[in-house]
Amino acid sequence: MEVGQMQGRLVDYTKSLFMEGFLDGQFLQLQQLQDESNPDFVVEVVSLFFDDSEKLLNDLTMALDQKNVDFKKVDAHVHQLKGSSSSIGAQRVKNACIAFRNFCEEQNIEACLGCLQQVKQEYYLVKNKLETLFRLERQIVAAGGSIPLMEMGF
Amino acid sequence: MKLSRLIVARPNFVFISLALLILLLSSLVISCWYKITRRIEDNVDLNTQNLYSGLLSEIESIANLVHSLNSSATKLTGLLSWSINQSEISFNEIETKVAPILFQAFSTIPYISQISYVGLDGLLFSYYIDGNQTLSIYANSSFSSNSSSVKEGKKNVWYKQQVDNNSGKLYGEAVRSHSLDVVNTSWFQTTLNDSKAYSSVEKGWNSAGDPLFLNSASIHGRGVVSLAFPVKRLTDIYAGIDLYGGSLSLATKDGKMLVDGIPNTKLISVNNSIALQFTKPDGEVVYAQNFTCTPRNDTSATYIMDIGEKKYSVHCSPVEISGVQSVYALALPHEGLVSLVHMNSKLSLILLVVMIVMVIISIFSFVLLMVRTAERKMCLYAKLIKQMEATQQAERKSMNKSLALAGASHDIRASLAGITGLIDLCLTDAAPRSDFEAYLKQMRNCAQDLLGLLNSILDTSKIEAGMMNLEEEEFNLAELLEHLVDLYHPVGTKKGVDVVLDPCDGSVIKFSQVKGDRGKLMQILSNVLSNAVKFTPEGHVSLRAWVQKPDIESAILASGRNGLHKYLSCLFQNINEACSDMEVITAVRQNPNSMEFVFEVDDTGKGIPKEKQQSVFENFVQVKETATGQVGTGLGLGIVQSLVRLMGGEIGIVDKEIGEKGTCFRFNVFLTTMETSPSTSEGEKESQGGPMLGGTQQHSGLTIHSPSPRLTVRTSSPRLPIRSPSTKLEGSQVVLLIQSDERRRISQKFMESLGISVLVVDRWESLPSALKKIKSKLISSHHSSRRLDLSSRSDISSTSSKDMPLSAMDGAEHKLPLNKRRGAPNFILLVIDANAGPFSEFWRVVSEFRRGLHGISCKVVWLDKPTSRSINSISLEKERLDPDDEILLQPFHGSRLYQVIKFLPEFGGTLSQGISANLESSSATKHSYTPRSRTPLHNEEIQEDASSSDERHRKKDFSSATTHTHVRLNSKISPIHQLGQTEMKKDGAESSTKQPLSGQRILIAEDSPLLGKLATVIVRRLGANVEHCKNGEEALKLVCSGLKDQRNDGGHYVLPYDYILMDCEMPIMNGYEATRRIRNEEKRYGVHIPIIALTAHTSGVEASNTLQAGMDAHLCKPLNTEELMEAIENIHHKRM
Repeated sequence: MEVGQMQGRLVDYTKSLFMEGFLDGQFLQLQQLQDESNPDFVVEVVSLFFDDSEKLLNDLTMALDQKNVDFKKVDAHVHQLKGSSSSIGAQRVKNACIAFRNFCEEQNIEACLGCLQQVKQEYYLVKNKLETLFRLERQIVAAGGSIPLMEMGF
Repeated sequence: MKLSRLIVARPNFVFISLALLILLLSSLVISCWYKITRRIEDNVDLNTQNLYSGLLSEIESIANLVHSLNSSATKLTGLLSWSINQSEISFNEIETKVAPILFQAFSTIPYISQISYVGLDGLLFSYYIDGNQTLSIYANSSFSSNSSSVKEGKKNVWYKQQVDNNSGKLYGEAVRSHSLDVVNTSWFQTTLNDSKAYSSVEKGWNSAGDPLFLNSASIHGRGVVSLAFPVKRLTDIYAGIDLYGGSLSLATKDGKMLVDGIPNTKLISVNNSIALQFTKPDGEVVYAQNFTCTPRNDTSATYIMDIGEKKYSVHCSPVEISGVQSVYALALPHEGLVSLVHMNSKLSLILLVVMIVMVIISIFSFVLLMVRTAERKMCLYAKLIKQMEATQQAERKSMNKSLALAGASHDIRASLAGITGLIDLCLTDAAPRSDFEAYLKQMRNCAQDLLGLLNSILDTSKIEAGMMNLEEEEFNLAELLEHLVDLYHPVGTKKGVDVVLDPCDGSVIKFSQVKGDRGKLMQILSNVLSNAVKFTPEGHVSLRAWVQKPDIESAILASGRNGLHKYLSCLFQNINEACSDMEVITAVRQNPNSMEFVFEVDDTGKGIPKEKQQSVFENFVQVKETATGQVGTGLGLGIVQSLVRLMGGEIGIVDKEIGEKGTCFRFNVFLTTMETSPSTSEGEKESQGGPMLGGTQQHSGLTIHSPSPRLTVRTSSPRLPIRSPSTKLEGSQVVLLIQSDERRRISQKFMESLGISVLVVDRWESLPSALKKIKSKLISSHHSSRRLDLSSRSDISSTSSKDMPLSAMDGAEHKLPLNKRRGAPNFILLVIDANAGPFSEFWRVVSEFRRGLHGISCKVVWLDKPTSRSINSISLEKERLDPDDEILLQPFHGSRLYQVIKFLPEFGGTLSQGISANLESSSATKHSYTPRSRTPLHNEEIQEDASSSDERHRKKDFSSATTHTHVRLNSKISPIHQLGQTEMKKDGAESSTKQPLSGQRILIAEDSPLLGKLATVIVRRLGANVEHCKNGEEALKLVCSGLKDQRNDGGHYVLPYDYILMDCEMPIMNGYEATRRIRNEEKRYGVHIPIIALTAHTSGVEASNTLQAGMDAHLCKPLNTEELMEAIENIHHKRM
């Protein structure tokens, strides 16, 4: 595939991510932070996010599995997840986390479990999307092109 | 269905098969019918045969009935021959011997009508019946000799005499009769010669001479006895037989006709055959036909012949009637019954055929009709399918178009952003004040306009696609309104239009802390406002806002378009969208905290013609007459309507009274009011947010309004004020001199609603007279009791002014001291618009007014335009203002209005200073000019306050406008918008290029590697040296060791880190704990490292926690460069 075409695809794809609300402006800021001094910044941060989130999700699953659920602990985990997801701009994960925390305050286990599922789902979705995005970027770089900078008004 | 489809598909096939079916059926029916008729015919044939043979046999049996007389004649001869044994008998003998026997026979033998004895010699004796009488005829020869009589038989005398029926005796007179020459007749001769009896048909004796069957027998050659009965009797019997339309003829063999039944024929018998002669009525013979007569037992000889018009079958047979050989011919109508059957069957065949034909026709026409309808149906189906396909295609096309539009506008936006960015870059390089720069700026303006247009188009498509969502957030509505009006004020002033915020009953201020979509509300308001400003060439634009409880009526009003029928359609059609829409709206309304906020934007422009009022809310519609020379896509109001509906409200144009100019847009939205007391959080924010903001600047209409606990939401009754107006009059007097009528009216109304006595001066020329009036009133009422007033006033000032919050004030408490003054105001506030007239004149009038006041405090608030300061530049040089006077910048509404109100002692204004100053000024008039050292400082401060607050608002506004780019002001207001953005951009450019934190050391404590990394990079970008640690404990250690190192270093302490960014929630040691420890540690060295808290919480509780822990500022995650810089600057300023 031609580089220009691939670049176009990347731009379209990124746009679709924003349009569908997977990402928000924070992600753009991340991209802007990337420069020559740390060229893989976004990928690094996002992979950190993946590691972090997976750990947190595991912890959450364990915590909610127990007989006497420690809601404080759950809340702390969710809070952390919310922080990290909002930092990379994973908007939908963040929104799911907000709902999750509300149920935590109510100590509603059923709803919490439902929310956990939703958070997981959103997380895997955004993970897939981001991985695809990075793969596209890598392909462009491999083809010798440069990654087009997004100028979006979000 | 299947059948009809088949019919339509192959009509010919169906027709043919149908025809075959019908033919088959009809042939079956006809053959059946034919068989049945055949059988009937046969039966009928057989029956007629039987009938005919029966007829024949009947005829013959009747003939046989009468043949027995022959034997009786023979017997009688035997009897007679015994009684007359001599050969010659005389008449006497006959009379005595023969006659009785004859009579006996005559009376005993049935049917007999004539009996006679004839002797050879011509003697005759006979009985016969003539009519009803029995007569006797005899030939008497007694008058001549026997011999002569025998010899001359002709000389016998014939008599006729009546006979007694019972005895046979002759009675009556014997009548001479003509002679009957019996002896010479052939039958007499034949009988005489024949030994056997002989029978023939002869004429009878009676007067009519009826033919008789005559049976005669000879008495041994001496005489003949004959018995006879009439032929008529036989023919009567035959006539009694029903011949079924046939006819019978009977004739003896010797040619005498007995019965002549067959019409127009003559039966002639010749030997064994007969001939039928057909005659015409006149007797002419037409033709004759011969028949051979055979006995009936043989195969019956039937001949077919035409008699007259009809065909007859003629049976011919010999028959013996009473010994007479005769022949009869029976003509029966040929095929009489069978032909009837034939005829009937023919008729029925015709009927059957007709019926079948009818059935066929009806079936075919029915099928034809069915085919037609089915064809039409198919045609319709085909059309429907085509139509549906077309519709779907059109829908798809339109969908694709909107998508393409959205995509394209995104692209355009991206490139536009690129253009503006590049222009900004160029601007930095451009020589200031050069043409190049001017062009660049124009270019940027154009690009911004374009962006605004695009945004509105994008909004439309977004709303169309239903992708617009409300973003709920907490905000201060009153502030928002004020900022908006402030934004448009300069635009309006340029055109000479005054933009006024009308607080109405103040309900908006009470419920100012609301939750809702701030951006969209702002978009709506700014759109409507900018329209109003744009289309108003002179006069004013006022924004009114009030709150009301969402009641059912308004709900119905607002949901006029989604009323009952929508519910119904929801029920029936399951339109999920509509339902969910409704749910949202109802949910908004059902929220107990939800309030209905009503906004009105009233202008004095050209107005919108009535018939166009509905269409202005449609997209791409502009009212042409009014829009001359104005640019715009006409999308603004369409978007506004969509947004208002999104927020559960409705927008419309309120009818103005006749004669009033302009348009009034009214819309309502539903927002959730926050229960938390707004004043406390507000206060905290103020104190935390800016040390530069003086206490006087406190924003608070809120505190003004909280005192009255009865403050109802939107009541037009004057219960709102703290006190009833009558008592109120005695408090303070406010004199308003404002140039703009509307603003003056609104300010007056609002103040009066609070119970403040307001005197309005509409022209600057009338100010002196108004002031004089007040003064004279004051002096007259106060002169006598000045002392008392003074003491009481000090009382008041000490109780009410110091730090008594307004909220604690009660009307009753207040009334008491005030009432003492019997309606005289003790405080006079002059609000003077400095632009209303020459300032020097004002100043002169005011100072003169002051001079005459005896201990009554007076305060002057000068209103000045922010653009052209008439007070500072011109007048302040020569004249000096009173130290207590305030200078406020226009526009005079919102917070500035409240601020002015708060100068009043009832609302917590500080009087003491004013009093002392006034006392001074009243005692020594020349003194009042002196305190120069205080005046400018004070004034400056206020000005700075005002401007800085203004600036701050604007900044905040624009920062919000840039961060939520959804808030797209319509292109119409782009000039201001653009202004703000350039400021922001300059800021941003400065900070990014300069790396404001270069050389500074910053410690980041963050447990999440992700966030740590992020923060590190951001801060490093700003030029700082960054250290990163994983938790509070590490941070503490680092700080401690840093401090220790410094100590070891000796000398003065340099901070180990310039700033610490501290995450609040960390394992091992959280941010609060770490901060506390660090603060403890610092104490020993007497330093203070600024710590900035990082939280993901957005609520105020968390913020206050961070402050309690000793942190200096608090930032929300995710970390943002601008926010960080702002926080750092704040800290920096604080320390300075």
